[in-house]
Amino acid sequence: MLTSRALCVPAADAVSLPAAASHAVDFEKEVRPIFEAKCVKCHGEEKQKGGFRVDLKRSVLTGGDNYAPNVLPGKSADSPLIRFVAGLDADMKMPSKGDPLTSEQIGILRAWIDQGAAWPETGGVVEKKHWSFQPLKRPEVPRIEGVAGNPIDLFILAKLAEKGLAPSPEADPRTLCRRLYFDVTGLPPTPEELEAFLAESSRDPQSAIRNLVDQLLASPRYGERWARHWLDVVRFAESDGFETNQPRPNAWPYRDYVIRAFNEDKPFDQFIREQLAGDAFGVDQATGFLVGGPNDRVKSPDPVLTAQQRADELHDIVGTTASAFLGLTVNCARCHNHKFDPIPQTDYYAIKACFAGVQHGERPMKTPDSEKRRLKAEALRPRLAELETALEQFTPLASTAPDAPRRLGLNFRRNSDRFAPVLAKKLRFTIEKTTGAEPCIDELEVWSAAPQPRNVALASAGTKLASSGDYPGDAKHQLAHLVDGKYGNDWSWISNTAGRGWVEIEFAHPENIERIVWGRDRESKYKDRLAIGYKVEISGEDGAWSMVAGSADRAAFNPDAQAGADWDSPALNAAQRAEAAKLDQERRAIVQELAVSMAEQTVYAGRFEKAPPTYRLSRGEPMQPREIIAPGGLSEFGGAWRLAPDAPEQERRLALAKWIASPENPLTARVIVNRLWHYHFGTGLVETPSDLGINGGRPSHPELLDWLASEFLARGWRIKELQRLILLSSTYRQASTLNPEAMRVDAGARLLWRFPPRRLEAEGLRDSILAASGGLDLRAGGPGFDLFETNTNYVKVYATKTRFSGDDFRRMVYQNKPRVELDTLFGAFDCPDAGQIAPRRTSSTTPLQALNLLNSEFLIDQAGAFAQRLQRDAGPDPASQVKRAFSLAFGRGPVPEETEAATRLIATHGLPVFCRALYNANEFLTVF
Amino acid sequence: MYQPDLSHAGRALLSRRDFLRWGGTGLGGIALATLLSEQRLLAGEPIRPVFDPARPYAPRPPHFEPKAKRVLMIFCSGALSHVDTFDYKPELIKRHDTPMPGTGLITFQGENGNLIKPLWEFRPRGQSGKMISDLLPNLAGMADDMCFIHSMTAKSNTHGPAENQMSTGFTLDGFPGIGSWATYALGSECADLPAFVAIPDPRGVPQVGSRHWSSAFLPAVFQGTPFNADKPIANLVRPASITEAAEGSTRDFLKLLNDRHLAEHPGDTDLAARIAAYELAAKMQLAAAEVSDFSHESQSTLDAYGASDSNKTKAGFARNCILARRLLERGVRFVQLFNGAYAMGEGVGNWDGHKTLKDQYDKHAPVLDQPAAALLKDLKQRGLLDDTLVVFVTEFGRMPTFQKGANGRDHNPKGFTCWLAGAGVKHGFSYGATDEFGYQAVEDVTSIYDLHATILHLLGLDHERLSFYNNGIERRLTDVHGHLLKPILA
Repeated sequence: MLTSRALCVPAADAVSLPAAASHAVDFEKEVRPIFEAKCVKCHGEEKQKGGFRVDLKRSVLTGGDNYAPNVLPGKSADSPLIRFVAGLDADMKMPSKGDPLTSEQIGILRAWIDQGAAWPETGGVVEKKHWSFQPLKRPEVPRIEGVAGNPIDLFILAKLAEKGLAPSPEADPRTLCRRLYFDVTGLPPTPEELEAFLAESSRDPQSAIRNLVDQLLASPRYGERWARHWLDVVRFAESDGFETNQPRPNAWPYRDYVIRAFNEDKPFDQFIREQLAGDAFGVDQATGFLVGGPNDRVKSPDPVLTAQQRADELHDIVGTTASAFLGLTVNCARCHNHKFDPIPQTDYYAIKACFAGVQHGERPMKTPDSEKRRLKAEALRPRLAELETALEQFTPLASTAPDAPRRLGLNFRRNSDRFAPVLAKKLRFTIEKTTGAEPCIDELEVWSAAPQPRNVALASAGTKLASSGDYPGDAKHQLAHLVDGKYGNDWSWISNTAGRGWVEIEFAHPENIERIVWGRDRESKYKDRLAIGYKVEISGEDGAWSMVAGSADRAAFNPDAQAGADWDSPALNAAQRAEAAKLDQERRAIVQELAVSMAEQTVYAGRFEKAPPTYRLSRGEPMQPREIIAPGGLSEFGGAWRLAPDAPEQERRLALAKWIASPENPLTARVIVNRLWHYHFGTGLVETPSDLGINGGRPSHPELLDWLASEFLARGWRIKELQRLILLSSTYRQASTLNPEAMRVDAGARLLWRFPPRRLEAEGLRDSILAASGGLDLRAGGPGFDLFETNTNYVKVYATKTRFSGDDFRRMVYQNKPRVELDTLFGAFDCPDAGQIAPRRTSSTTPLQALNLLNSEFLIDQAGAFAQRLQRDAGPDPASQVKRAFSLAFGRGPVPEETEAATRLIATHGLPVFCRALYNANEFLTVF
Repeated sequence: MYQPDLSHAGRALLSRRDFLRWGGTGLGGIALATLLSEQRLLAGEPIRPVFDPARPYAPRPPHFEPKAKRVLMIFCSGALSHVDTFDYKPELIKRHDTPMPGTGLITFQGENGNLIKPLWEFRPRGQSGKMISDLLPNLAGMADDMCFIHSMTAKSNTHGPAENQMSTGFTLDGFPGIGSWATYALGSECADLPAFVAIPDPRGVPQVGSRHWSSAFLPAVFQGTPFNADKPIANLVRPASITEAAEGSTRDFLKLLNDRHLAEHPGDTDLAARIAAYELAAKMQLAAAEVSDFSHESQSTLDAYGASDSNKTKAGFARNCILARRLLERGVRFVQLFNGAYAMGEGVGNWDGHKTLKDQYDKHAPVLDQPAAALLKDLKQRGLLDDTLVVFVTEFGRMPTFQKGANGRDHNPKGFTCWLAGAGVKHGFSYGATDEFGYQAVEDVTSIYDLHATILHLLGLDHERLSFYNNGIERRLTDVHGHLLKPILA
């Protein structure tokens, strides 16, 4: 491999280059033949070594992984292309095989470059635009004699006819009913649902199907099924990945958001905008999309590692966004121009710049009333401050006398120390003991005496600070935060020494002060690091220190104590006690109300910070920054827009969302309708659902895909609308019978001469096992359940749970999905692990699947539950039990041979053994 | 056969699509055979394994004549210090306790102190005279069988991504392990055991756990199956509540159900494959029980490995080593044997010696040394080394310095040592070198891609042609990198 070293010494050896031809060079007649004879084999349509091809103007003038631009018009001696063909660089002689170019040929190329590297647009090869990059047009629906109806069928029939194939007849209603239930809801129909459909179907098959499709699309189970597909596409999991792989306990609201979006049939363009910038639309949890991927939490002072980790985080967001919505492998352009698609490396960084301010982490989730609650809390705070100040007068003065009466015990939120007014130039707060670890002080207020009490410690009053030492390396904990007037852990000071530390405030002028107010966390979130042994000293103009308060006269520390508390002090008279109690009652009520108003759900949906500049990274190396890149889209796909390099953070994501979620974008609608097709038929019209680029699959029915996409847009980006159209088509309703003739032409049934059968996916399998046993818990939403044992190591170890109860019987979409850890049982069924996106699942068959379904405790338990259900549902008669079992497991009754064998098995070995066998039958987990 | 309008890159790759389909929808995989054999003629294009979904572990032909039929990868989790074991640096000893030239080096945990000489003596070993330290005396005794690569480099200096890279080629999560790639390509020589077995350390799984043996986007049938001598394959054994007679009747009943079902859907290979998988599962129950049953191992063998050692961890690892040999003997394609588990705090779980390296390695080394050396010797004695490749790896090396204020060494991906032994590689040979202190590779700098390319080569596979088409990208173990390490080939 070559380094760029070779290119740092241009021109100097121009003398050794063959001279440029002296005539006016004709590109078509003279230059292109050289390219075709010498270069195109490795740098053409078939291969693009070094990301460079000579048959396209764009590539010759701007392309190449390592040396772009290879041609510098007007400067042939400096152009890498000339240097390579002239053999000036020992490591990089071109062509790498075969005879070198003659001096004359080099002379022609030099002259062509020196004369401006003209490349006529007319004539020669014009780059044909890849199908999915062209604007979406609505194709004509094919006309077929004697066939009317669903345009989908017409497109399919036309293609089948071209190949001399015919579609299969409609599947029988029983098969169709099961297919629809599994496909739309991920669950089998109950025997009662199935029978009801069959009854209706025998009266009016057409309306029965229509009603069933409507009913299933409206079922809350629909969203649970289809959200799982989307979660595959966007690599969503609820742990960090990499070594520590710690859980993200507040990631689930995104999963619920996706389920709700499907159930509510949220227009897809809005779904896109919310996932990229939900914070701008009042849907905070939607941006769980951005940070749904892995994040290495093992941090280090090593700047290279830190830069690499950040680059990888953003790479994940860029790659997932482009693949999920645009069906492009933009991630390939991290290190160099895309090898196949017209995505220059700079475009990768333009999209990266849109996300440059996105950080992994949680943030409060705004709900519709959260602003109202915030305002209410704001309104309560001044009154609380008044009350607390008023109550001060009923608290005894601090005393340094050894036999002083006890003052109130300390609490985490707010404590005050009152003393006789004293003129002070400095105040020092020295901590000698804490409840544990280094002490933390949220805010230290120093109040001046009447008539107009002020907090004279505030930085805004011109104070200066000193300390024994500050907690290193955490922006939240700074000495300046001690007097910044802001409450809460994020604006606090922590000492650098466990159990000890001091802070000193020097006032701008000597102040007549009479009390201090301080706490660990004025927002009551943290209950640790409290100073419980301390002293407060002041010094006047003379510089001598004297102690004014301390912890010695405090009652013993009680960690559960509330701020304030006990007004039964013997120092107060009855009227004072009554007054204090009254004020305190109001104070408590406000504190309570504030707690309610401030309670918030946080969600792992990312934090948004000011975006630092984004640099193009040479070869993707984080330590090789090049020019600054402005936020923007993909220039060759209508995304040539650029924002200012310092554009506000949210504006970037909004701009990106606007461009992606636009009917003008050639890819967005095509990508989603293809995904829908993929999940309904097992294979998309394009088989690579997250790559519609040049290296992706070709559509089996390009016109149908475009028709669906334009229909989708015409129907307002409504997913259910399009699905209804698909589900009601004859194409979808075909039988899946094999036809040897058709197999010879189209073994995989890409052309849909039959409905392709499928094995249940992991989630569908678990849900169906539970549905049959009667144990399925259909509670929707909220925190998930675990398929793994808990452990507390900082490296989370995922051991598959073997005993299940309660929440564990909810649908599998509600499991806390760990990243790159699959449970032993269902992981063997090709369940994606969310390490990377999974736009298409594999479906394999392995002996371990058999062992898991035969022997796992989960399955044995469920076989037992199934058996009990049969006894409940069908009573003691084995034949009735068998009949019920078959209808629960297979959606049909047993034939006599099966009844006979089953009753024999039950008689000899019991019902659970029989149920275990049913769970293992091919029929249980195959959908026709 | 219907051929869609293919992209330029995909013209010869129709098989990709049909391959993707084989598991899901019928006969696609079988129909391919002819097409694939034609495709082999096209140089540079991927060579796709042809599967019978009913026999996913059936042996498949390599790309060319292999040197090795199977691989044992011994993975030392936590980063084994090369400067204290295999990479002898006289200059480091000479310059002990002096600053390393070049100041202000910040590594994973921060600042570094002075150069520190190896904590164990080095001495010449075997006929080759290879200098190896006293930390691993038994392994050192096998020096003449080893082929060292002293110039290894990794892309990350943190365990998660680096372990990922050593096993999957990628630092990111979500890529198939090398064992999955090997079995995807070659199937197995053993019909009734998993083709790829991962043997976790007695103390637990390695730092990135199952990512070492995950099949990621490859079909799940190529997942590594994790078990060790003390913890059998999950769900292998029939539960106590099911009697042998009940099991037999269940199989008969299942057969009746499945045969009838298949008769209704004649020609559906997926259904047939699932029936075959149940038959294979039954054989695997017997074979896996047999391979884990050491009752016929002689006492001298058990003792040679240290299987009855009073150090429970060592005895456990020794039994894992015996299990590894038994698996290889039976033709299992790829065995990944782990020494060291996830981080459990300094000095407990693995080779991550940041603070008190001496104490920690004095505990760890005996766990590894005798059993691993016995395994190598045993493979050799039984002639298995002739067609088995042994690869000894760790995710990166350690610094020649101590960390500032500590008695241990920080992470160092710039230079470390791996060794190979057995089929197809030179014996008593050393390749590449780090600088005078062992800090960074300077001679024949070798990447993990190169190591992987070489392992695949020895298995008869061209690393540039073994690929899997996943969402528009030809994924390879070696990504777009990797050069065969020709000088180490025998």
